[in-house]
Amino acid sequence: MKKFIAILLVILLATAFLVACNDEPVVEDPPTVEEPEVIDEPEVIDEPEVIDEPTEVEEPNDDVDVSYVAVISKGFQHQFWQAVYAGARAAGETYGVAVSFDGPPSEADIGPQLEMLRSALARNPDAIAFAALDTEAALAELADAYNRGIPVIGFDSGIPDAPAGQVLATAATDNIAAGAVGADNMFPEIQDAIAAATEDAPVTIAILSQDATSESVTGRTQGFAERMYQLAGGVNDSVAIVGGLGRINTGDTDAAVIIDVTVGATPEIADMTSAALGVLNTPNLLGVFCSNEGAVMGLLATIGAGTNVPDGVILVGFDAGSAQKEAVETGLMFGSVTQDPFQIGYQAVSLAVRAARGEAVHDVDTGAQWWNSSNMHNPDIAILLYD
Amino acid sequence: MGDIRNSPYILEMVDIDKRFQGVHALNNCSINLKAGEVLALMGENGAGKSTMVKVLTGIYKADSGDILYFGKKVVFKTPKAAQIAGISIVHQELNLMNHLTVAQNIFIGREGKGFFLDEKSIVRKSAELFERLGVFIDPNEYVKNLTVGKQQIVEIAKAISFDSKVIVFDEPTATLTDTEIDVLFDIINELKSKGVGIIYISHRLDEIKRITDRVTVLRDGELVGTKNTAELEIHDVIHMMIGRVTYEPPKQTSSVPEDAPVVLEVENLNSKDVHDVSFKLHKGEILGFAGLMGAGRTEVARLIFGADKRTRGNIIIDGKAANIRSPHDAVKRGIGYLSEDRKRFGLAVDMSISNNMILASLNDYTSVGFINENKIATTSNEYVDKIDVRTPSISQIVKNLSGGNQQKVVIAKWLIRNCDILIFDEPTRGIDVGAKSEIYKLMNALAENGKSIIMISSELPELLRMSDRILVMCEGSHTGTLPIEEADQHSIMTLATLNSSINHTEEEIKQ
Amino acid sequence: MNIRIRRFRLESFFALGALTILCIIFSIFARGFNQWATALNIFASSYAIGFLAIGVTFVIITGGIDLSIGTVMMSSALIGGFLYQNGEGLPLWICLIIIVLIGTAFGTLNGLMVTKLELPPFIATLGTMMVAAGLGSIITSVQSQRFPAPIGDSWFTRTFFRIDNFPVGAIWLFSFLIIALIVLNKTKLGRYTFAIGSNEEAVRLSGVKASNWKCIAYVISGFCAGFGAIFHAAAVTTIVPNTGQGTELQAIAAVVIGGTSLKGGSGSLTGTIIGVFFMSVLRIGLQGMGINAASQVFFTGIVVIGAVLFDIQRTKRANQVRKVKPVVQKEK
Repeated sequence: MKKFIAILLVILLATAFLVACNDEPVVEDPPTVEEPEVIDEPEVIDEPEVIDEPTEVEEPNDDVDVSYVAVISKGFQHQFWQAVYAGARAAGETYGVAVSFDGPPSEADIGPQLEMLRSALARNPDAIAFAALDTEAALAELADAYNRGIPVIGFDSGIPDAPAGQVLATAATDNIAAGAVGADNMFPEIQDAIAAATEDAPVTIAILSQDATSESVTGRTQGFAERMYQLAGGVNDSVAIVGGLGRINTGDTDAAVIIDVTVGATPEIADMTSAALGVLNTPNLLGVFCSNEGAVMGLLATIGAGTNVPDGVILVGFDAGSAQKEAVETGLMFGSVTQDPFQIGYQAVSLAVRAARGEAVHDVDTGAQWWNSSNMHNPDIAILLYD
Repeated sequence: MGDIRNSPYILEMVDIDKRFQGVHALNNCSINLKAGEVLALMGENGAGKSTMVKVLTGIYKADSGDILYFGKKVVFKTPKAAQIAGISIVHQELNLMNHLTVAQNIFIGREGKGFFLDEKSIVRKSAELFERLGVFIDPNEYVKNLTVGKQQIVEIAKAISFDSKVIVFDEPTATLTDTEIDVLFDIINELKSKGVGIIYISHRLDEIKRITDRVTVLRDGELVGTKNTAELEIHDVIHMMIGRVTYEPPKQTSSVPEDAPVVLEVENLNSKDVHDVSFKLHKGEILGFAGLMGAGRTEVARLIFGADKRTRGNIIIDGKAANIRSPHDAVKRGIGYLSEDRKRFGLAVDMSISNNMILASLNDYTSVGFINENKIATTSNEYVDKIDVRTPSISQIVKNLSGGNQQKVVIAKWLIRNCDILIFDEPTRGIDVGAKSEIYKLMNALAENGKSIIMISSELPELLRMSDRILVMCEGSHTGTLPIEEADQHSIMTLATLNSSINHTEEEIKQ
Repeated sequence: MNIRIRRFRLESFFALGALTILCIIFSIFARGFNQWATALNIFASSYAIGFLAIGVTFVIITGGIDLSIGTVMMSSALIGGFLYQNGEGLPLWICLIIIVLIGTAFGTLNGLMVTKLELPPFIATLGTMMVAAGLGSIITSVQSQRFPAPIGDSWFTRTFFRIDNFPVGAIWLFSFLIIALIVLNKTKLGRYTFAIGSNEEAVRLSGVKASNWKCIAYVISGFCAGFGAIFHAAAVTTIVPNTGQGTELQAIAAVVIGGTSLKGGSGSLTGTIIGVFFMSVLRIGLQGMGINAASQVFFTGIVVIGAVLFDIQRTKRANQVRKVKPVVQKEK
């Protein structure tokens, strides 16, 4: 009988916990979430729609009662997703709707994310905001949502290649443009060295990428590589993109200026660290661009473990996070590009609510900003830099 | 004894009754113990000696009866409580931690107050204990480096460190050398002289005569009687212990004809522990294997059975060379092996009787890959009846059977496989008297029915009673074979110590 | 065998009861739980783990462990997907057969390492776990591989995943379970599996080629991993390189929840499958209550510990009885 009691105990414990957690995200409207950022929101340039929204200019279907938006992200534990979550909650508060937020443990967990999407659909939300790990895997669920009239909004990396009409709008960073911001800022620092490089004395600009499949990470990698290729081509005739992201390679490994893409063996931090070690040991390294926070963490972990950064190498990151902020502040890193995760979450829910009300919605670029030690404490930038 | 009041006894167990699921394990048994005496507690396996001791130390609770300790009625709830009160057991299997030192073992659980250890004080206290026992053992030595005899002394030291008034020795000499036994007896005498009462459990009758003052004999859970050792002859004790069972005298002549066909011939068998062993086994014969511990008898059996790899040698079965490389090959050629360690090598103890019985012959109980449970049940029931396995059902888990019944299950396994050559390795080890004679009967019946048997045993009377011939080994070599007519204890022991290398090892011991 | 079977039925009954209670609680507290869609979701989450758990139950009953099944499943699916996409018009059904063969091959590798090279199962299968993950990545150049998407009338989806709102995969899983039950309880292979887990040396000394039968348990485990790979591919479509680590632990957790002892010698496949569903229901139910991924893992952990505590209590109780019984027998 002890057995039985034990099971009961587990279940009781579970229920107790559930009931305790329950009211926060789903059932009720978020009561006391402090989001001073929302108040500051109007200062941010990229989103005129939001500012107008609370006044509800269009209000074509105000009678539609929108009460619940399900958000399925690509992750949960990472600080970035927590910032998205904060934005989503803030939007929920603004619009007076309940928001649930689920994400798989890692970005390789396509199966678990599908399970969460199906589970969300079973809850009959008024709209879904979804950042797909793999669109094709989710086609059946997208069709299901479409047939049931549940509007689907993409966010962050969105839902690329979704069937026409099934995704109404996407709130996302233009990743190619964001990657190019990194190249634009790195190039002036290394321009002379690039100009001086020859095929006998080549130089390398490295890109450290956590993933070769995710649209957002590869977009930034591509954006940086192609802009750098273009800029370097202006001062040196022999430039090539090589490495782990096959589709953007230009093939010529004997070039004077090599833009070398390194992709970690897995997205795990340990593999990123060893990939970063390889990058830092590249001869004649001019600069390193890390295409997301995971890559930055790998690089910083390698440096923290005692690997020296060769003199004059320009380290440029992406996203934010406390470790990266400290590295930029102390000058270890030259600077970084940030998306606006809070805005991504906020805009995703806001698009979802408006789509559910039957309004016409359009893609929103949630923007990318260059930040370094000199501007990171400006209020309009600091707000974008999550810890 | 019940009528003595205000008695000189320090410990009295009066009319102890203990049943397990309705069966009497102890039926109104009483023992008593004076200060400074050694009481022998004797009886065959299963007579109730251990149950008695377990009741005394609180492992079992008696259904009725009293324990009087210094005249006061006591009930110990745990062995620990008994120990603190001054009743300790020195177990047959030593409960020591090999990787701790002698002192750490003696004072385990009593290291003193505080978080940090006071090694010095326990070392000093241990040295004092050994001084009291009149032996020297370094308290800082690791237990694993001590001989079994010295480890036992450590156990005794641990017992007296509790200031024990009563110490129970459970077969203390089973694993000791003669010199170690002498030391042990000195210690027991020392304890006696200090007024400690000792309960001494042993099967060795010569020891009883040597060390004990009185003897209490139990049989089948009942008290047979208590006598002064001085008034007893050894055969009296045997008679008390065995009661109804009569030992059969040794076999006088072999009934196996001279020209009986040779079913198994072994030529120049060699391995690490076996040197050039050759012999022949005839149909219907029981060939005894005698020798001291480590003489290589079990090793020979395992080589024949393919359980270990032989380096050289031929095995010929029914006149044909048998290339036996694994137990699978051996079983295919009709050899069955009953290991000396049934639980480790003979039985899947978590499985049922029927599953164990057909383990070697499952092929005969499957049709088109499926197991025919009905056929298994029929056969199992048949053999349970045939060889009298005492069990409520064939689905009984083997773990729950007594040693004798477990052995019968193993025998049934090989009978069902229809093996012609059976190797019995210590077939009666750990089996009580009644079951022993049943096993003997069974083996005789098998031989009469044309099965050929190799019987390895360390009990000479058993070998002399059962065998048609006795093969003697020493130090891995075959030193002689005696027809039963010529075999007696003396001739066997001569062969068993014949090897020249014996002298060599004795020299080594001296060093 | 009768006693054994009876005991396990009791166990399964407890596990089933716990599963039912869990479902009842969720149907009250979890939003949208009482729907066919939720049932479909639970099934979809259970296929791959279900096959893995059935296979590894065999290995665990022999007293071994197979840590490689998670990555073997992913690796088989990955290589199969690679052949499907780059195999010059290789038909999908041939790729599926190859997937099963790859899984079986890894299982055979495990079995041979454990029996012929006498490596501890933990080490051997830990090695295979990494080898399989690496091999999948090497062959595919660390690229994700795609199978036909679960939409429209792809025969792949309709055969292995679902037809409209009907979970075809469940039919496969339960048919497979029935076959596995028959193999484990009605055939020589199953009997030897239990016997080896109980006392391998005694089985060997009974003239049974114990190491061969033990090897087969690992082959079955690999085969099931390959089979599971098909269903994983049908449900998830895209297979990502270097994934699958951790899946084996989920399968093993399901086996443990189902009452199979990691010490070997006893176990139940019905328990295993209940364990699989217990974990899926728990996860999806918690999602329905708006509880995030981190807490889902937390609760699964609690359940695993609870189930093992259970098992220990049961063994203890059983041992208490056993201590008494032999004395009875001895004293006749």
